Amino acid sequence: MSRSRRNWNEVNAASLARWIVLTGFLALTGLIYVYLTLQLYHLGDRKKALETEVSNLKMQNEVASAQIAALTSRAALQRRLKEGYLKMIPIAEHNIVRLTIPNRNPDDAIQPVSNPRSTR
Amino acid sequence: MKWNSRTRCAIVCLGFILLFSLFSFRLIYLQMVKHDQYAGLAAEKHVIKQPIFAERGTILDANNEVLAHNVPVETVVVDATHLNDVETTVDLVSKELQLPRGEVSEKLHTDRRYIVLKREVAKANADSFRQQLRAKNLRGIYFERDATRIYPNGVMLCHVIGFTDFDHKGIQGVEGSLDEYLHGQDGYRYIEHNRAGQEIVLYRGQERAPRNGYQVHLTIDLNLQNIVENEIDAAMREYSPKKATIILMRPQTGEILAMANRPAFDLNKRSDTKPEQMKNRAICDMMEPGSTFKIVTAAAAINEHKFGLDSYIFCENGVWNYGGTPLHDHAAFGDLSVKDILVKSSNIGAAKLAVTLGDQKFYEYIRRFGFGDRTGIELPGEISGLLRSPQLWSKISITHIPMGHEIGVTPLQMATAMSAIANGGKLMTPRIVKSITTADGKTISTLKPIVLRQVISPQTANQIGMALRGVVSDRGTAAAAAVPGFTIAGKTGTAQKVGPHGGYEKGKEVVSFCGYLPAEHPEFVGLVVLDDAQTKPEQNYGGTVAGPIFSHIAEKAARYLDLEPHEEIRRATPVERVALTSSSRH
Repeated sequence: MSRSRRNWNEVNAASLARWIVLTGFLALTGLIYVYLTLQLYHLGDRKKALETEVSNLKMQNEVASAQIAALTSRAALQRRLKEGYLKMIPIAEHNIVRLTIPNRNPDDAIQPVSNPRSTR
Repeated sequence: MKWNSRTRCAIVCLGFILLFSLFSFRLIYLQMVKHDQYAGLAAEKHVIKQPIFAERGTILDANNEVLAHNVPVETVVVDATHLNDVETTVDLVSKELQLPRGEVSEKLHTDRRYIVLKREVAKANADSFRQQLRAKNLRGIYFERDATRIYPNGVMLCHVIGFTDFDHKGIQGVEGSLDEYLHGQDGYRYIEHNRAGQEIVLYRGQERAPRNGYQVHLTIDLNLQNIVENEIDAAMREYSPKKATIILMRPQTGEILAMANRPAFDLNKRSDTKPEQMKNRAICDMMEPGSTFKIVTAAAAINEHKFGLDSYIFCENGVWNYGGTPLHDHAAFGDLSVKDILVKSSNIGAAKLAVTLGDQKFYEYIRRFGFGDRTGIELPGEISGLLRSPQLWSKISITHIPMGHEIGVTPLQMATAMSAIANGGKLMTPRIVKSITTADGKTISTLKPIVLRQVISPQTANQIGMALRGVVSDRGTAAAAAVPGFTIAGKTGTAQKVGPHGGYEKGKEVVSFCGYLPAEHPEFVGLVVLDDAQTKPEQNYGGTVAGPIFSHIAEKAARYLDLEPHEEIRRATPVERVALTSSSRH
């Protein structure tokens, strides 16, 4: 029994534990570093994808704006008028009623007002 | 030394230590000593300066209607060394991009790394093509984003708006003159890419955002422009002139409300356009103004107090020999008041006014009205016209220039001079740009009206205005320019056309009418010029050809601007246009 005890190296449990904790900590730090680095790459790719998406949406918006401008342009409306899609009748002079705007004195006591706080 | 296990172990360890030390030293050498050099080499391979293109600014009219804007397109390019199935690619490219198969095949059967297949491919077509390439697993075709300029109104206002070239640089019209505002400033970004050519966003370097081009707001009102374009087209159909120009201008501010020229071209289809069609004749062409120029002569004479509006001048009964050359009137006039010289458009009367003023004084007034100088409008290619100094005048120049001969003016100069009469004698700089703003509406610059000078006194301007009202009456040369309900002041002009090799071309005339409405408080000045109108010789006059065109435009413009007609004038003015006889030459 005593002979066998002599052939075995004694293990310092506290020291071993310290090393294990230290190694584990270092390993964990490394893993976190790798994970965070991968996350950064992933977020970079996501950012790029979002940028592309925004850019595509902007392009679609520009194409739509161009189509609206083309369809509402003077030339397009004239064409539609000729094709008979639109009908425009000039207003006869006797049908126009012109209202003379009175020259309002700024010091007039009574002024039309609107009260935004009024709920009724 | 004992060669035991301990020694062997020590030697191996030493070997390892040496080896790793060597590696470490090499690593330190590469990472620290040679860092900059290798980092530079790596950057050269992987870091690129990616341009971020600025968007070209939009051009809008006075009511914010779009005149020119951008639409995204794509350029299809090929790297021939990346193609994996050339024949299938050729078939697909020719089908999707509608290109001749032979042409595509010739382009793709090379080793070139950058071949442009087609520019300005619409986004929808490019997307469809991209999907087809993916479905067939074809490589080597790439798409580059680009933008093209679109002009929704096509021909309308083509000479004013202008256009851009392939590099998006403005080369004509407002596109050219305001290119520095419209173009914007490109940005950039330093990016690093991986072996597949994809950007590594993590390693993005320095970045500068682009500044998009500013929006340019014109003074042009598209509703008035539409009226003018329709009338100029109608005039082209009716008279088939070689050239035609119409300008509408606000006299108080110098704002150009409408400007149209013929021949014209479609801004979206410029490939088959001839240079002649691209000329903005309102500022690039000069003409002899004919009798419209008499307003300058009469204004100068009255402003110098040489004559009053009711002073009488003997008009020699139709023929006046001056300097050995006879000067003719279109009718045998005796005594005419200065007012009637304008109303009846007497050449002899105008010549006598100028002779009384003298060469130098008359020349001064011509210059004061802005002739012989560029008006300064914000459009490229404006010419100053042709005005010789009195030292170069012949003996009879003083009798010919007053009736608008021996002088070259641009239509815009003529309209500006008439605006000075309508504006109480103040000569304004004509303007086509109202303001410059950012895309979100922040004002960068607002162009305010510029008074160039007081050419004549307000009293003189008023007197000339009174005389010009007579021109558009049953007594005057432009009764056909009348608009029911409104008083119009104006002047007709008929000048023989100057040939390309000098001298006058027989039977070819430049007819014009320049006037304003309402005469009491002018809202706009209009000029109509037709070069070589095809009509009967006895009808080819400013009053009979250009006058009615002005009348149509003025009537519609007055309705659009909601100008209130005077009932009494409406009743007094005959509805039928007054037919002029051949005697109303000018």
